[in-house]
Amino acid sequence: MRSKLTLMLTPLLVLCMTFSFAQEKTISGNVTDQNGLPLPGVSIVVVGTSTGAQTDFDGNYSINANVGQVLRFSYLGQTTVNRTVGTASAINVQMQEDAQALEEVVVVGYGAKSRELSTSAISTVSTEKIEAFVPSTSVDNILQGQAAGVQVTAANGRPGQTAFVQIRGVGSINAATTPLYVVDGTPVNSGFINNLNPNDIESFSILKDAATVSKYGSRGANGVVLITTKKGKSGDARITFRSSYGFGERIPDPFDLMNTEQKLELERQFAELGVNAAQSLPGANADAAERARLIALDTNWEEELLRSSVIQSNSLSISGGDEKVSYFMSLGYDKNTGIIDRIDGFERVSARLNTSYQAKDWLRVDANISLARSTTDLPRDRNNVQNPFRALYDYNPWDPLFLRDADGAVVVDDLGEPVFNPTTTGFPIARALLTEPEDNRNFLIIGSLAADMKFSDNFSNRFTVGATNNRFNRTNRSLAGGVLQGFVGDANFPGTQTDNFANTLQYNVNNLFTYTDTFGEFHNVSASLLFEYNENIRTDLFATSRGFPSTAFPFQDVAAEASNAGSEEDRRILFSQGLFVDYDYDGKYIVSGSIRRDGSSRFGPDNKYGNFYSGSAAWNISRENFMEGSVFNNLKLRGSYGTSGNQNIGDFNFLNLLGFNTYNGNTTAIPLGVGNPVIQWESQAILDIGVEFGLFNNRINGVVDYFQKNSKDLLLNQPLSQTVGDENNSILANIGEVQNSGIEVSLNADVVRSENFVWSVGGNITFLDNEVVELVNGEDIINGNTILREGEEINSFFLVRYAGVNPANGEPLYLDADGTVTNEYNAGFQTLLDGKSPAANIEGGFFTSFRLNGFGVRADFVGKAGNYITNFQRSAGIAIGNINRNQRVEAFNYWKQPGDTNVLPSPLFQNTADQTSTRFLEKGDYLRLRTLTIDYNLPSKFLNDFGINSFRVFASGQNLWTLTNYNGDPEIGLGSAETAEPGDAGFVPGEFSLFSYPQTRSYTFGVEIGF
Amino acid sequence: MKNNILKLSILFISLAFWSCDDELNDLQPFTEGNPETFFNSVSSFQNGVDGIYSQFYNYYASAGSGMQGIPDILSDNVVLVQTGRTSNELYYDYRYQANNAGALTLWWSEAYEAINAANLVIGQIDNLPDGPEKDNILGQALAGRALAHFDLAKTYAKIPTQSADANGSNGIVYVKVEDGDTGDPFAQPARETVQSNYTEIIGDLVRASTLIADSNSEGRLDRNAVFGLLSRVYLYNGEWQNAINAADQVSTSLAAGTSLIDVYEDTTNDGIVVEFSVNTSSEANFANVGVLYSQSNASATISEYAVEFAFFNSIDINDLRRNVIQFVGTNQGNDYNAIRKFLGEAGQVNGRVDIKVMRAAEVLLNKAEAQFNLNQEAAALTTLDQLRTNRFTTFTGGESGQALEDAIQFNRRVELCFEGHRFYDIKRRGESVQRSANGDIIDGSGTPAEVQTLPAGDNRFQLPIPIAEINANPNMAQNDGY
Repeated sequence: MRSKLTLMLTPLLVLCMTFSFAQEKTISGNVTDQNGLPLPGVSIVVVGTSTGAQTDFDGNYSINANVGQVLRFSYLGQTTVNRTVGTASAINVQMQEDAQALEEVVVVGYGAKSRELSTSAISTVSTEKIEAFVPSTSVDNILQGQAAGVQVTAANGRPGQTAFVQIRGVGSINAATTPLYVVDGTPVNSGFINNLNPNDIESFSILKDAATVSKYGSRGANGVVLITTKKGKSGDARITFRSSYGFGERIPDPFDLMNTEQKLELERQFAELGVNAAQSLPGANADAAERARLIALDTNWEEELLRSSVIQSNSLSISGGDEKVSYFMSLGYDKNTGIIDRIDGFERVSARLNTSYQAKDWLRVDANISLARSTTDLPRDRNNVQNPFRALYDYNPWDPLFLRDADGAVVVDDLGEPVFNPTTTGFPIARALLTEPEDNRNFLIIGSLAADMKFSDNFSNRFTVGATNNRFNRTNRSLAGGVLQGFVGDANFPGTQTDNFANTLQYNVNNLFTYTDTFGEFHNVSASLLFEYNENIRTDLFATSRGFPSTAFPFQDVAAEASNAGSEEDRRILFSQGLFVDYDYDGKYIVSGSIRRDGSSRFGPDNKYGNFYSGSAAWNISRENFMEGSVFNNLKLRGSYGTSGNQNIGDFNFLNLLGFNTYNGNTTAIPLGVGNPVIQWESQAILDIGVEFGLFNNRINGVVDYFQKNSKDLLLNQPLSQTVGDENNSILANIGEVQNSGIEVSLNADVVRSENFVWSVGGNITFLDNEVVELVNGEDIINGNTILREGEEINSFFLVRYAGVNPANGEPLYLDADGTVTNEYNAGFQTLLDGKSPAANIEGGFFTSFRLNGFGVRADFVGKAGNYITNFQRSAGIAIGNINRNQRVEAFNYWKQPGDTNVLPSPLFQNTADQTSTRFLEKGDYLRLRTLTIDYNLPSKFLNDFGINSFRVFASGQNLWTLTNYNGDPEIGLGSAETAEPGDAGFVPGEFSLFSYPQTRSYTFGVEIGF
Repeated sequence: MKNNILKLSILFISLAFWSCDDELNDLQPFTEGNPETFFNSVSSFQNGVDGIYSQFYNYYASAGSGMQGIPDILSDNVVLVQTGRTSNELYYDYRYQANNAGALTLWWSEAYEAINAANLVIGQIDNLPDGPEKDNILGQALAGRALAHFDLAKTYAKIPTQSADANGSNGIVYVKVEDGDTGDPFAQPARETVQSNYTEIIGDLVRASTLIADSNSEGRLDRNAVFGLLSRVYLYNGEWQNAINAADQVSTSLAAGTSLIDVYEDTTNDGIVVEFSVNTSSEANFANVGVLYSQSNASATISEYAVEFAFFNSIDINDLRRNVIQFVGTNQGNDYNAIRKFLGEAGQVNGRVDIKVMRAAEVLLNKAEAQFNLNQEAAALTTLDQLRTNRFTTFTGGESGQALEDAIQFNRRVELCFEGHRFYDIKRRGESVQRSANGDIIDGSGTPAEVQTLPAGDNRFQLPIPIAEINANPNMAQNDGY
């Protein structure tokens, strides 16, 4: 193997040799920071040429130059060093931190800015945190616990599933609460970001306060996540290859399901008590022989339906450049089979090319393009017999996977294949996964073209055209002879297939004209004028056919006839103008302001336009003379106030609409819903006051922010009396106001920083509080089990209060509306539960990392507290009426005799026991070890012989440990997508658990090689 | 040079962006129409009327909660099959509450949507020139509006003949565009009385009867349909003579006993007065209404509910109706009295068939019952025999008094079983639901109904108003007991 590698590398070495003959000499050396620690990634250029190099992990470099030429060493946050090449062939450099002017640049709205001059609360998440994640995870999941004020709830454990991201609380109740995602200046629909390759991302920049989100006007209210992809750096091409392999499994439940013996016993007990539904079950009727037969069949349904997933990831990137051109290109392949047995799972292939070209001295052209295709055959998320995650809890342990004959042998069909057992649910999900295949493909293109024109020292202009285009295809088949065809198929037309196609094109054209100037010595001014046009066009098509000659052809051309087809289109247009102004006095006193006017097609003629503004200021105290010599190398006080908007609602809600369909072959026209001509933007005002500090040469640094965010004119579906006959029984209206306020703290420290050993810790925590300030006419809005009421927490739970079991007779007790204990259950007893809602009060994350020579260990924890979840999964697992399904072992603990306490209700009271109440409302607090990564970097002395710059091996585990009291997995976003998902009226993430794709724990191992 | 570029760029960009306002203002919906301008021709109005029918189809044919079957599940005609999915067990066991999903929320919402669709047509009817076409549109819309209100009234309120206090008790909200009841989406109307509801239902039907065409195509209401519905509504309202008169106006003839199976497999429309149809050859927006009772595939019939053992065995062995009521369904090694009606079209077991709202047989039974109630026993017997002789010949006949009344009611139960009548027939007659102790298996063994009696006068004869309505409309009074 080694000889093969040498053989492969020989031509490369020869090439290098050739170059060295042509040059005067080779300079090598080592670059360290002010503490003497090796500094990797330092860029070295021979001034005046295109020759460049970078230091490797150990800070070593090597470059060819002539005597008398100047080498320039530069690194972010360090003072740039120039050294002239002399006779020596070794130049070692110790760089100094540029503490006075930390050149850290943050990506802000419509451009980048030095962090020191920013007046805004911005969190950034950089590459190292991204790399520890399972690559098939949607990139938004990476943000969880990494940035203060960013609440990320994993929707579920499904590979490729996007997360629920909220910035600074519930900014909206009905309109979407996901932030605006902007990738390299191009807005990308939040639903598509699972198709980004995480390895391409350089950083996330999360805009949280008015100073920056106001610049995004009508789309800024939920915050903005700016994603910057990697760029080439001048110097030799850097080739990085990364490959990992791993597996995942369902996180075990903190409770047990019954085995056959237990289940038969429970059935027997229930039958004996006279529970009707238990009378015909085997536990009630089986004799000893039958009982023994069933016990022998004992089946663990998790083993039959699930498996360990295989997680695979490979990526290759090549980047480099010179003074005129830089490039970054990458290829990525990710696969995650998921934990459902018998299907293929999620797969993604991606490619990217980012280039930048200095075409003229006054013109730079940037072009980025990325292509990604993902496929998944994971079934839809639903709460019925077609859900394998429901099945593994429902199927009785005495029901085996395959049917058995009288002798206990597996029954086979005509082809000799074993016959799946339909089980007591009548629906063999294991077989249905095979006969009802669903295959989704997404092909996403993100492209942008930008031209930076510099007319003079004062005037510049940036023109950008960006577009994202996602093509979605779904093939949904119901095979002839399959599970569903048997029930709903047409005997004359075996098999059906539906193909869906949707194309979503969003394009964005903007122009930013900027004037900058310095007056006197210290007065720095800049002003930018923005024009922006954004349009989203979605078209879709579908066709269904029936009557397939064979299951071998997944195309409708072979079908007997087409049975259904359709097409439609949606468009949304946004047109904006903005003016942004910045002023600073010597970098000490900074003032910024912005104003933006947006026009949206989603509002009626009188409310099309909205104005959004912000003002902010900052004081770099550490720059003052009196701070000289203090321990603070950075201390900044800043504040901002401003407005932004939300227009994330459906199109044409301001019109009364008529919908068309069919009845008995004739066209129908029915009123679709009542329009509201006066709806307008949700608007939001954010006040933010923050302190940023760095101590002891930035060994300790942190940010503390207080914010208060008021969202008013909330766009909300106001429930209507159903006698009006509205299709949705609600009307979209601007009703009410909510307030979110909180404190965010993030802190990072290098506890030990020595040559061979570095120990850093860091973390962030957000304390959040929210309140419904105002609703129309002060009237409550009830959404099933949650309620909006003035003065109360948003989406407070609204449930009948459970008062335990009557120890005398085992009857479940409730509190009526007046709080009196009663043995009746009535929906009218629903009561607002003070301070209990699905939203957490505390969220955060922290990490600790050790690095000793080449070894590193890093652990990231995430957690939240103060939220409540309705545990419908537990409710289903112990419901008396579900005695014909498997149950949790806990179900044995029912009331048996007078005096029993801490028990479940007696099975004799099924009517009042099997009801939704606070009995199943549980605290959702948890702390979870999100990732644990161990890695080792091979010292370069072992690598140089192979032409390899860096070699890193790593092992990473996700979700290895969890602390919670919740009866199930506490990390819940989607209860069940088909029951309620984003966009549905009243949807609240994390409100209830209902057999969605469970969270998984995974272990991956990998290697990363740099050339 | 640079300055020129600068000026040109700014000019170009500014011009390009100023024109964007038009794009913004000109955007119109792509696949929706404008309800204020769409209705301007007979065909567009007929689209609106077909829209009303589609709303009926939504709640009559729902595979989970169809009005075609739930009233039987709420009655003594069925017994829950333990090897099924125990769907609608909540209804079968009378455990429903205002916050439960299923039929009680679906019907309330969809029936008012049908009413809204009807009012949209009625309110703009003067866009059409006077004449029979306009009359026919208006007649269909009025009749549709009446039927939807009637479905609501019989479900969520008492029926006038049910008890002495019924007429004065809370009915439902009757929404008429002519009375200014529409147009305010924030309206919060209060309940009217049962008496007022039935007056308005009859008012709409009587007006429709003077306008509607003698015959419209399949799945639409026509003159026979309106009079058929009138005979039923009059019977519910205790107006016996009017019920007889209305029944006499219906010219639809009975389906022959031998072709009954064809009626339920949709190969004939014999005897159909009102149906909501599905065109299985040309459309995909169908519901599998038969799933309420069973799901079948090649190897098993997973029955949700079976024909109650004693009821089925009380039907004369020669009665042709037995064949459309029952077949032997096998699942998990057990045989059941599976329900044959609504199993599917010929050769199918997918549960997809037309919804039978009213058949000529019911019109005769309405008439016979009204005649009996007017003490016209001979006439009542004649009317009953018109039907009976068509179904079987081995009956003794010649009943009078209680025996005659029993015979009328027994034949009504047999003839109309599993078509959404039984619960309402028990309710309107002020009787109790009295279920047997027979089990679900074909021989009457197995697990019997958990709740065997729903006594007359029980509040659960009136379904609760959905909690969402109560929450959205503080003026809406809840039914007693919820």
